[in-house]
Amino acid sequence: MIDETKLKQVMATVLTVPPDAIGPDASRDTLKVWDSLKHMNLVLALEQAFGVEIPDEDAAEITSYALVKVVLQELVEA
Amino acid sequence: MSQSALKPPAADEGSSWSALADPRAPLADVMAAVEAAEADIPKLAARVAISAGSTVDLLSLYLRRHAALAGSHIEVSQGGFDDPLGDAERFAAAGVDCLLLAPSLETLAPAFEAKATALPDEAIAAVERALIGRWRLALEKAAAVRSVFLCSLHRISEPVAGGDRLDVVVERLNAALREEAAAFANVRWIDMGGVIATVGRRAAFDTRFHLRNAAPYSPALLDEWARQVTAVSRAWGTRFHKALVLDCDNTLWGGVLGEDLASGIKLSPHDYPGNVFHRAQTEFLALQRQGVLLCLASKNEPADVDAMFEKHPEMVLTKADVIVSEVNWADKVESLRRIATTLNIGLDSLVFVDDSDFECEAVRSQLPEVTVFQVPARASDYPAVIARIKDLFLAGGASTDRAGKTEQYRQRAEAIADQGRFASQEEYLASLGLTVTLARNDAARVARISELSQKSNQFNLTTVRYGPAELERLMADPDAAVWALDVADKFGAAGLTGVVVMRFAGDVATVESFFMSCRVLGRGVEVSIWPAVLADAAARGCRTLSARYLPTAKNAQAADFYDRLGLPLISEADGARNYAAAIADFSPPPSPWITVQHD
Repeated sequence: MIDETKLKQVMATVLTVPPDAIGPDASRDTLKVWDSLKHMNLVLALEQAFGVEIPDEDAAEITSYALVKVVLQELVEA
Repeated sequence: MSQSALKPPAADEGSSWSALADPRAPLADVMAAVEAAEADIPKLAARVAISAGSTVDLLSLYLRRHAALAGSHIEVSQGGFDDPLGDAERFAAAGVDCLLLAPSLETLAPAFEAKATALPDEAIAAVERALIGRWRLALEKAAAVRSVFLCSLHRISEPVAGGDRLDVVVERLNAALREEAAAFANVRWIDMGGVIATVGRRAAFDTRFHLRNAAPYSPALLDEWARQVTAVSRAWGTRFHKALVLDCDNTLWGGVLGEDLASGIKLSPHDYPGNVFHRAQTEFLALQRQGVLLCLASKNEPADVDAMFEKHPEMVLTKADVIVSEVNWADKVESLRRIATTLNIGLDSLVFVDDSDFECEAVRSQLPEVTVFQVPARASDYPAVIARIKDLFLAGGASTDRAGKTEQYRQRAEAIADQGRFASQEEYLASLGLTVTLARNDAARVARISELSQKSNQFNLTTVRYGPAELERLMADPDAAVWALDVADKFGAAGLTGVVVMRFAGDVATVESFFMSCRVLGRGVEVSIWPAVLADAAARGCRTLSARYLPTAKNAQAADFYDRLGLPLISEADGARNYAAAIADFSPPPSPWITVQHD
């Protein structure tokens, strides 16, 4: 299983929000600061934090906490 | 920056410090570490702005990281996308200290990189003209910014084995851009080819974000880019290393002289590991030739070390290359202190190299101002450490008259040794044949004057740091004058040794700045120049002289300078001292042993 505390911490650091702002519903729609620049940094930060490489097609799609979790889960288990 | 160059972490910042320094630390940890480090460095060293032809958002983070590693806190702003003119104008008006300009090949013409090979010569020439026209204007708009770093153009596509036409085009455009930059004293050139080569081309780019977000660079490349810019900026003007203090055993040669004896020392250029030390000495000698002061701090029998220097056939360095030698059984911390005192430079100007954990740790903990490098246990790792040491002294270019520095410091040391033979100090000074040459608003000296203003700490009355652009402006301003003073004596010319910046308003002449290299203090030079400077002010109609001393952590020795000059103290608050006098009534103490010349 993905370490959700670590995931929240990485997302909060990159998106510059407090950790409790990253709830299960957090997404690009709910978080204004999550713009395309921050998104790029988020993909790079997630790759380095979890030791995975997020494929191009997924990189553009992981626009919510739930989707990030699903994609990371798959990559870590693969 | 190598781990060994860093100050040790304070007890409470262990884990975040390690993320700050570890090149493999995950991005989110680096972000958190930079924030934490900056919170501990309240004073802002510089405001930096980036104007790029690609998306380089994370470059800000890595610039802040490398500044923090050097103990500096910087603020970084990003400009618009491919808008060098707008950015230069906006950032110059906002008063940023440094501007990083990163043009991109891709913005020269749509899909330029792909097309360049097929374009006719006239089309390439047109691109070159447009590039030059645009960047000349951007550099002009940035002329008021203290330091501008212009990055070279580079290809992103895989190179063709043996080179292709794109390489030729890129080289030509860079040559044109570089020539343009040479006209501006505040512009430094950053070679992106070197940055990419250090990271490795395959690791330098991220094609995913290149095509989607015009963000071609990998975090690894941005990190190395930031490291090199930080080195060239000398950690944003906070570092100016002057002396390299070397241990002997396992630093200058392989082995321990006291145990292995000269015959057992490894220093042969033809065998490993002797060849590593032989090259190390060659590199240190090259630094000495470029103006770095070499010193020894070694726990050894002085006679053994002398014999090694004089007789060992494979030694590259000679005793003449070493300016101060602390070979004894004293504490190295003591030795370093003595070296700083003898050379009359601050401890933060010293770089110390030693192989011992114990010595490195002792210096790091007791003299945190000194930059420490430890010689790695494996000799084959040593060249990489030497490369970092060279970076520290040479990044950003050494200006030409620094090269004779060892000679000048030696002259000073010899002059001190001579002092005993004269009946009085004045008789001694008279024997020196001192000549001071004053030059007003000499534009040819701008680079050197700026350099001296950046590194003069001890004899500096107001500690104003001047950039080249600012000096050019002051020299052109009718209400200001910049005086450069050169000192020569029978031992030789000391080059530029002091600067006075005057401001004129109505009938008041104000000394905005006065600073001198400590090499020539104690000979009356600092007193001798005032009649000429004041005569000039009086000729402009000034009747009152105003001057002040502003205290810093380092300039206590200049605190009473204006008192010694004979200026009446008008007010004093928090250590700052204000002086004023009628020019007609004021006469500084005479210094008849000095000949003052001026234009």
